[in-house]
Amino acid sequence: MSSLPPEDQSPAPAAPPALPPGAAPAAAPYVRLPKSPGLAAFLSLFPGLGQVYNGQIARAFVFFFAWVGSIYLTASGHEFPFAFMIPFVYLYNMIDAWKGATAINRRFLGGEGEKMEEDAVESPVWGGSLVAIGLLVLLSNMGWLDLDRLAQWWPLLLIAVGGYFIYGSILKKKAEETADEQPPSL
Amino acid sequence: MNNRPAFSPEGLTLGIGLIAIGVLWTLSNLGRVDLLHTLKTWWPLALVLWGSLELVDLAVRRSASREP
Repeated sequence: MSSLPPEDQSPAPAAPPALPPGAAPAAAPYVRLPKSPGLAAFLSLFPGLGQVYNGQIARAFVFFFAWVGSIYLTASGHEFPFAFMIPFVYLYNMIDAWKGATAINRRFLGGEGEKMEEDAVESPVWGGSLVAIGLLVLLSNMGWLDLDRLAQWWPLLLIAVGGYFIYGSILKKKAEETADEQPPSL
Repeated sequence: MNNRPAFSPEGLTLGIGLIAIGVLWTLSNLGRVDLLHTLKTWWPLALVLWGSLELVDLAVRRSASREP
């Protein structure tokens, strides 16, 4: 999602070894990968730091504020959803740092074509939910909307997420069926 | 990734947000507005701005990839 600066901190192999997907990487000469997924995950013990290491500043902000925000809201008396959010945000933040570093490495190795990790960014759900959350909080700040009364409707979110997963799995199935002529025999 | 438009949504949001805070802070130093009170009410606008830019970015990239 973030526009990454070109990675050229490794000692510049004149032609980065463009491995065909599936080729054995053991055959390639030793290349210093730009990012270490382990280090990224370790740095994200402090939420956001691993994303900073990956150069994904916006993600760093999101994870840091989601973490701080859920702790703040838990402490200020909204234990119910937000106390559960803390471990989710924390663990997902570390996984995200790991995956981000892996994706950068893969792109560095010439996997420019693969962009499966960016599926989430390719869908309008991300931008749309940012706008929706912003509007909700803004309206509540203006006093036109009582978030505490709205909070009892939160299980609808589960329904929406479930519906989204179903929609996604149907789309994927269709894409697979059209990709290869005969449907996979599962 | 080749067909990225010339802006990044999060960078633009951070920039606009910093400028907005700078303007507000200056105004509050001049005694025109109450900085903390204003920020407390209006900060979600940053989320709305970021989300909208993200949608615009997506639309631009989609149309760019459709007609190369």
